[in-house]
Amino acid sequence: MTVELDHKPLLTHEVGSLDKPGWRVKAYASKPLDDKDLEEARAWGERLTVPDYQKLLDLLRHAPFSKEQKAEIQRWSSLYALRLEESAGLDVVYDGEQQRTEMYDWAVNHTNGFERRGSVRAFDNKYYSKAAVIGPISLREPFHNAEFSYLVSVADAELKVPVTGAYTIADWSFDERYDVDTDLREPAVDRRRARHAARRDFVLEVSRNLIRPNLQALIGVGARWIQVDEPGASTEADELDLFVDSFNASVEGLDATFSTHLCFSDYNLFFPAIERMSQCRQYAVGFANYDSRELGTSEKARPGYQVIKKFADLPYKPALGLGVLDIHSDFIESPELVRDRVLYAVKVFGDPKRIHVTPDCGLRTRSWTVAYEKLKNMTAGVELARKELGL
Amino acid sequence: MAATRGIDRGRVTADAVDRAFSDDQAAFVRLQGKAGMDFFSDGLLKWQDIFRPLMGALGVKPHTLIRWFDTNTFFREPELVGKVPTVTNPDGVVAAASVPRPRVATLPSPYMFSRAAHTDHDRNRLMVDLAHRVLRPAIDAAVAGGAELIHLEDPWLGYFGIKPEDWAPLGEALGILHRDLKATLAFHVYFGDAGPHIAQLLSLPVDAIGVDLTETDVAELGSSWDKGLVAGIIDGRTSIVESLDNTVEVARHLADTVRPRNLYLTSNCELGYLPTVVAERKVLRLGEAARKARELVSV
Repeated sequence: MTVELDHKPLLTHEVGSLDKPGWRVKAYASKPLDDKDLEEARAWGERLTVPDYQKLLDLLRHAPFSKEQKAEIQRWSSLYALRLEESAGLDVVYDGEQQRTEMYDWAVNHTNGFERRGSVRAFDNKYYSKAAVIGPISLREPFHNAEFSYLVSVADAELKVPVTGAYTIADWSFDERYDVDTDLREPAVDRRRARHAARRDFVLEVSRNLIRPNLQALIGVGARWIQVDEPGASTEADELDLFVDSFNASVEGLDATFSTHLCFSDYNLFFPAIERMSQCRQYAVGFANYDSRELGTSEKARPGYQVIKKFADLPYKPALGLGVLDIHSDFIESPELVRDRVLYAVKVFGDPKRIHVTPDCGLRTRSWTVAYEKLKNMTAGVELARKELGL
Repeated sequence: MAATRGIDRGRVTADAVDRAFSDDQAAFVRLQGKAGMDFFSDGLLKWQDIFRPLMGALGVKPHTLIRWFDTNTFFREPELVGKVPTVTNPDGVVAAASVPRPRVATLPSPYMFSRAAHTDHDRNRLMVDLAHRVLRPAIDAAVAGGAELIHLEDPWLGYFGIKPEDWAPLGEALGILHRDLKATLAFHVYFGDAGPHIAQLLSLPVDAIGVDLTETDVAELGSSWDKGLVAGIIDGRTSIVESLDNTVEVARHLADTVRPRNLYLTSNCELGYLPTVVAERKVLRLGEAARKARELVSV
């Protein structure tokens, strides 16, 4: 049974990742730390009033680190990220995925049936690792429980757990199991049919044998709001139904609130397929990347948000996590720009309780300084919108 | 990869990044030599997307990130608002001196470029303008730098198709690129089925037409191909290395049945969607298949 979200209007939250501090990266990779790393840990510890951060500084001065010490440093990194988000004023937080390698890599590395193949470019100078499915898929061990349990013990704000979704995991993987015998002399239509059937088998096996058991484990340790991240969801325009089937197969009947995150897509493609995704109680969607940076609340002033009407009209009335921060730019959105994006969305939806306010996506490609400024302005902009709306 | 990531975070110097690029390019050149490639590419290793060096030459810094068709790769949308200036210094498209000759230069086709751009122009007018002001200067620079094969990539036509009224301006744009060109001009359609477009493609003013054989039925290529055929026979999106025998058989079939003026064997798309180690295996397989096919065809 899916649990309803019942939050205050214009709830604010992050979406997922934050950059990993240099001290965390170097310590984990057994590389020497320099004074700059220690100063970074000190300065942010002081700025965010991280309790007992001097203990981290002591620890960082005592390299080389044992396996347990590396794990402790990762937990410190989680705590710092959590405090950054709380300090920026977010209502719902997580740890910027500080204990994970990366959203895809972390998942497949805890799964049977995959083998690493290497990295490929995503954009600019950003790369992601890819694996191939080579055998039956199963969960090797729950891979978010430890971080979640730690965060429960230290968080002041409500937690939302980001989990990579089945469709994205399959889409970002090579297939060396389901569709392996291609003969270019066969009719292309037959090859295409075989490829689609193989994709369905692959995606649904990830849903049933990997994502669902991992979600069950998370719920077992107390997770109440789980965000299924699906940046790959609209990659294949003719597979939106498969994406919906995979989401439903992952969450059906489970006792938590489920939302999903979509980004950098033509969102029109999701309609009407997601009309069948009623267990998704919130869509966190990136829009700012497509929007103007000018102020204004008219339709013309907000070109990046034209598609939100379709989300508003979904029959099961989910909330919309409104992306208002462009995560691929150091441009700091002003509170007034955030305010106007929010006011436009409220005007379209007619109900501020259905609007949550978020960055477009995880902020891991930005420095902490930029991410912090963006998030602070986001919450300040929401306050301006609340005032304007008399909330 | 580590070097560019490092410079983005201020942890690596520009010199170190240049050295890393040089090393990677040298390795890629060695690989192509080992595979027996007939044309050498610099691998576009410094290109962050297919438009970036051209946008740099235009002095435009692109902003919006857009998904590259049905891949998990993204490009910065070229912003072409107002008059398109003429490119005068397209150095970014010319391979380094260390890349052996003959070389292949890869560029976006004018059709794709005009469709992928954020613009206030009529897109067909823009297509012709881009051919004239941006692509022709870039091609001339590449040819002056040793390119003998100009490979225009067009996944847009393969993926989204083309309206009947767009063929004529496409022909006009390609005519601008082909006129008096001292190199072979190839127009390569991929990420889609070229079958429905074969007749129109063969009427374009280019020397060779490329097709993506993972999406296109070999039977649709017909038997009266009066241009070169760039056959995308190796799949740049799967990690399984193609069977040698099957690849050779397909190549042989193309040579015997389609009978193009020249047959170029290549991958169906860029190999940038593959980890380097997988891409290397595929380049070697392509070379191996080409050698074997050549032996069989000449028998």
